[in-house]
Amino acid sequence: MIEFLAASIRIATPLLLAALGGILSERAGVFAVGLEGMMLAGAFAATVGAWACGGAGMGIVLALVGGAAIGLAVAIVAVRFRADNMVTGLAVNILALGLTSYLMRILSGGGQPVSIHLTLLPALPIPGLADIPVIGPLLFTQPPLTYLTIVGCAALTLFLGRTQAGLILRATGENPEAVFASGANPLFVRMFAVVACGAVAGLGGAVLSLQQVGTFTDGMTSGRGYLALAALIVGRWTPWGAAAACLVFGAAEAFELRLQSFGVPVSSYIVQMAPYLIALAVLAGIGRSSRLPAAIGQPLHRES
Amino acid sequence: MNSLLEMRGIVRCFGELRANDNVDLDVRSGEILGLLGENGSGKSTLMKVLFGMLAPDAGAIRFRGKPLAGHTPRDAMAAGIAMIHQHFMLIDAMTVTENVMLGWPAAGRMLRIKEMSARVREASRRFGLDLDPDARVATLPLGRRQRVEILKAILRDAELLVLDEPTSNLAPAEVADLLAILRRLRAENKGIVFISHKLPEVLEVCDNVVVLRAGRVAGRAPVAGASRGQLAEMMIGRDISTRDNSEPPRPPGAVRLAARDISAPGLSSLTFELRGGEILGVAGVDGNGQIELVETLTGLRPARSGSLALDGRDITRASVGARMTLGLAYMPADRSHTALVKSMSIGENLMLRDSRRAPYGRGPFLTPASGAAKARALMADYDIRARDPKVIAARLSGGNQQKIVIARELDRGPSVLIAHQAAWGLDPGATRFVLDRVMALRDAGAAIIYISSELEEVLTISDRIAVIADGGFAGIVPRAEIDMRQIGLWMAGRAA
Amino acid sequence: MSPPAPALPLTAISHFQRFRLRRDGLAGRIALALLLSIGCAAALIALAGHNPLVAFAAIVEGAVGSPHQIGAALNRCTPYLLAGGGVAFCLRAGIINIGAEGQIAMGGAGAAAAAFAFSGAPPVLAILAALTGGVLAGATWAGLATAIHLGRNVHEVLATLLLNFIAILLVQQFLAGPLGQFGAGFLQSPLMPRETWLPRLAGFDAHPGFLIAIVAAAALSFVLWRTPFGFALRVAGSSRRAAAYAGFSLPRLTWGAMLIAGALAGLAGGIEVLGVHRRLIEGFSLGFGFKAVTVALLGAMEPLAVVPAALFVGLLESGSLAMQRQIGVPSALVTVIEGMTMLFVLAATVRRP
Repeated sequence: MIEFLAASIRIATPLLLAALGGILSERAGVFAVGLEGMMLAGAFAATVGAWACGGAGMGIVLALVGGAAIGLAVAIVAVRFRADNMVTGLAVNILALGLTSYLMRILSGGGQPVSIHLTLLPALPIPGLADIPVIGPLLFTQPPLTYLTIVGCAALTLFLGRTQAGLILRATGENPEAVFASGANPLFVRMFAVVACGAVAGLGGAVLSLQQVGTFTDGMTSGRGYLALAALIVGRWTPWGAAAACLVFGAAEAFELRLQSFGVPVSSYIVQMAPYLIALAVLAGIGRSSRLPAAIGQPLHRES
Repeated sequence: MNSLLEMRGIVRCFGELRANDNVDLDVRSGEILGLLGENGSGKSTLMKVLFGMLAPDAGAIRFRGKPLAGHTPRDAMAAGIAMIHQHFMLIDAMTVTENVMLGWPAAGRMLRIKEMSARVREASRRFGLDLDPDARVATLPLGRRQRVEILKAILRDAELLVLDEPTSNLAPAEVADLLAILRRLRAENKGIVFISHKLPEVLEVCDNVVVLRAGRVAGRAPVAGASRGQLAEMMIGRDISTRDNSEPPRPPGAVRLAARDISAPGLSSLTFELRGGEILGVAGVDGNGQIELVETLTGLRPARSGSLALDGRDITRASVGARMTLGLAYMPADRSHTALVKSMSIGENLMLRDSRRAPYGRGPFLTPASGAAKARALMADYDIRARDPKVIAARLSGGNQQKIVIARELDRGPSVLIAHQAAWGLDPGATRFVLDRVMALRDAGAAIIYISSELEEVLTISDRIAVIADGGFAGIVPRAEIDMRQIGLWMAGRAA
Repeated sequence: MSPPAPALPLTAISHFQRFRLRRDGLAGRIALALLLSIGCAAALIALAGHNPLVAFAAIVEGAVGSPHQIGAALNRCTPYLLAGGGVAFCLRAGIINIGAEGQIAMGGAGAAAAAFAFSGAPPVLAILAALTGGVLAGATWAGLATAIHLGRNVHEVLATLLLNFIAILLVQQFLAGPLGQFGAGFLQSPLMPRETWLPRLAGFDAHPGFLIAIVAAAALSFVLWRTPFGFALRVAGSSRRAAAYAGFSLPRLTWGAMLIAGALAGLAGGIEVLGVHRRLIEGFSLGFGFKAVTVALLGAMEPLAVVPAALFVGLLESGSLAMQRQIGVPSALVTVIEGMTMLFVLAATVRRP
C-alpha cells in the first residue's frame, strides 16, 4: 500500500511541477496550453545537459533554460503579439516535439537518436524524518527534485499570497488595466510569468528524464502537460489544490500499473483511461469556475 | 496657497484629431479646480498626459516646482499625483487592502498585510470613507468602490487628486457624500482637479473652472459669480437645435408593449404600458437596472416571473429571434461589440438579423445580389457615408456606425423600438440625426422606449419620462408634469 | 465557444473575408511566415552539417518524384484536408476543436466495424456503408465533446483534448477485443473485406479520398459564405454578443459546426482504414489532430485555402521520409517547420485592435 502511495507521489511529481508553472501563467492571465511542450523541452535539455556535462546539476539548469525558451516563444507570440493563447500553446507543443526529436538525432551525428543512459537520481532519505513509520518512506525518502517540488508548492503559495510581486501577478490576470494604472506594466508581468512557467514546467520534464526514465525518448511526456493543465484547473488555480489533483491522477495511473498484481479483471486500456476520465469528470462536475482569473486569455490593449 | 501644478502649451494629437490644442492649466494647493467639457473635449486626454499614461506632443508640466516630463504613472504617483479614473482601476476579486497595496512600494516586498489593514481602517475613519479593509471589492456598491480609489490616493500622500467624471455612476446622495469628502481633502490643503460635464456639481464644489471645448481652453472663470448659462455656452459653443418636442401631445395609439410584474435578477417587479406614437424616456444613473431592463425586454435575459406582451401577443417565453420577428427592434448601448460586428462589412451588418429573409436570403442560401442592392438603398436612405456596402464597419466613424444600426432596426418597420444610449459618444450632428430618426419613427406610429444616462437627452425627446433606480421604475410622468426636483429624488433611488 | 463570458477573441484571421485575401495582404503575411520558417529549417539543416538546398531538393523529389510518390503524398494530404477543413470551419465560429485525432480514430473504428458488417455486399454499397460508419462514429465523438462542453461548461479545448486520449485507448480496446486479429504480434484488425477497399488509381496509387476531400472543402466554403448558417457561424466567431443579439442560438451553431467537423474527421479515419492501411491499426491517427489545426491556420481558416495548406504539409511530410533516407536529415524537421510556421502565422496575422 505504501508502495502504491509512493508510486502515486512519484507519478504526480512531474505533473505538479508543470501545474505550478501553469498556475503562474494562468493567474497572470495567459492560458497554459503549452505546458506539454515546455515539459518536453525541459526533459530533453535535462537529458542532454546531464549527458554532455556529466552531472544532473547541469541537466537541471538546462531544463530550466529549455523550458524557459519555450515559454519565451509563447510570451512573444501570445502576449506581445496578442495571438490566441490556446492555439499558440498547441503550436509550441508541436514545435517542441519536432525540435527535441530532431536535435536528439543530430547530436549523434548519425541520424539515430543519440544513445543516452543516465543514472537516475537516487532517493535521498532525510535523516531522522525518514525513519518515521509510514510517512518516512513516503514523504522523506524521495529523490531531490521531489523535495524541490513540495518546497516549490509552499513557495508559490507564499509568493502569490504574500508578496508584492505575487499581488501584481494576480492582479494582471484579473484586470490588467488596473495594473497599468498602478504603475506596473502588465505586458512585462505576463511575459515574465509565461517564461517562468516554462522554466518550472521544464523542471517537471527534468523529473521525468533524470528521476524516472534516465533518458529522452520522442514525445516522452505523452500528454502529461495537458493533464497538468487539467490538474491546475481542478485545483482551482492554487498550488496545494493542484497538488491534490495531481496526486489523484498519479494514483489512477499507479493503480493501472499495479493491475496485474491486484488481479482485477479489467482491461489495461480501460484503466489507462482513468486519469483522463477522472479529469473530465471533475471538470464536468465543477463547470466553469468562478475562480478563473477574470482577464485570462484577453489580449492586452495598450494606449499608444 | 502655492502653485501645485502648472501645465503649459500641452498639445496631443491622435492622427488628425487634436485632442489637446495648446492647453494651459494651473492648480494651487487647497484648491478644487473644475475641468468642464463635453464628450471629446479633451479632458481625459489632458489628464492622461498629466499622469504619464500618454506623452504630449508638445508642452511642459511643472509639479510642486519641479518639471515633469517623460514620466510613467509610477513616477507621477511618486511625485504626488493621484488619478481616480472614471472606470475604477480596481481588482474586484481582491480585498480593499489588497487593492491599496497593489503597486505601492510602501507596502513592502513581503506584504505587510496587517499593518496596511490598520492604515486603511484609520484613514477610512478620518475621512469618513466607511470602508472595511477585508471586504472584497466585488461586494461593494459603486459609490464605495470609488472611495477605495480615493483611499489609495490619500494613503500615498498624494498632493494632487484628479477625479475623472467621478459622479457619473453615483446616485445624488452618493454625490453629496463625495463632495463632502472632497471638501475635507481641500481643508487638508490638497489640490483637486474635478473633471466633469455636469454643471451643477462643478458649481457646487469647485473654486475655479476651466472649460475645454474641442481640445482648446474655451474659458476660465472663478465659480463665484459664474452663471450656469455662461459656462454652458462656453462648453457647447453653439446652439444645438434638436427638433423641439414641445408640440401638443398627440393622442396615444394602441398599447403595443405591455409589461406586467416583469422581474429578473437585477430587475424588480415592473409594470408599464407602451403605446404607439409615444416615446417613453427612461432616465437614471447608469447601473440601476437599465441593462437588465433592456435584456429582459428583448429576451437576452429570461424573465423570472411576470408577463410581456407585444401587440397583444404573449412573448414572455419567446426567444430573441421570435421577438424580433414579431416587430421588436433593439439598439444596444454597446454598439461596437453587440449591435455591430466591426470586422464585417456594412452589408453584412445590415443583414445581421435578416440573413434568412428576403432580400438577403432565400431558403438555405444567401442571395448576394439582391442583398447588396438593398444595402445600397439603405445606405442612401440613412446617409451612411461609405463607398459601398463592402466597406468594413470598423473603418467608419462612430456616427456612421450608429447609422448602420438605426438603418437596420428602423427599416424593418418595428412596432416597438428599444433604444439604449442611442446617441452615446456621438458628435452633435450625429446625435441630432439619431434623435430625428427616432422621433420620425414615433410619428409613424411605433412605440419607443428610449433609455439614456444623459438626462438632458431624455428630457428633450420623451413624451413620458420614467426614472429607473435600483432595478425598478421610481416614477413615470408625462412630459407636461415634469418636476426636476422629483426626478432628482427618484434618481437617488430607494436605498441610500 | 465557451459560454458564458468572458469572450476569447481568436486571432483576427477568423474575421477574414475570402475575397479580400489578396488586398489585405493576408496571403502575403502567411507566405512571409512560411518563408521565415523555411529559413529557420535551413539553419537547422546546416546545423546538422548538411546542405539545406540539397535537403530541400530531396524533399521535393521524395514528394513528387514519381507518380507513385505523388499518389502517396496525396493520400497523406487527404486526412489533413478533411480534418483541417472541419477545424477551420469550427475556428471561424470561434470554436477551438482539437479533437480531430480522437474523431479520426473513432471514425476508423466505425468504418472497420461497418465494413465487417457489410462484407459480402457489392463494392459500392460496402464502401458507402463503411464510410458512413466512419462519418457517424466521428460525428458522435465530436458530439460527445460538444455535450460535455455545452452541458457542463467545460472548455472545448479541454473536452476535445481529453476525449482524444480516451478515444485512442478505446480503439486499442476494440483492437484487443471485437475488432482485433488474434495471433497478430501487434494490435490490428483483420484485413478489411476486399470489396471495401478503396480503389487506387493505376500508377498513382492514390485513392479517391483526395478528390472527396476537395469536394468537402468546397462545400464547407460554400456553406460558410453563401448560407445563413455559415453567416451565423462567422458572426459568432467574430463577436459572441453580436451573435446573441442577432438571435442566433450559440449552442445550435456549436452543435452544427462540431458535428460537421467530427463527420469530416470520421470520414478521414474511414478513408485511412479503407484506402491506406486496409485494416484498422493501433495509433493510425496519431498526430493528425494537431496537424489539422496547423493546416487550418495556414489556410487562414478558409476551407478552400486549406487545400494548398494541406498539400503543403502533406507533401512536406511525404518528402521528408525520403530526405531522411537519402540525406540523413531527420524527418522530425517537418514537425519543426509545422510548429514554427504556426507560430509565425499566428504572430503575423493578428490585427491590431
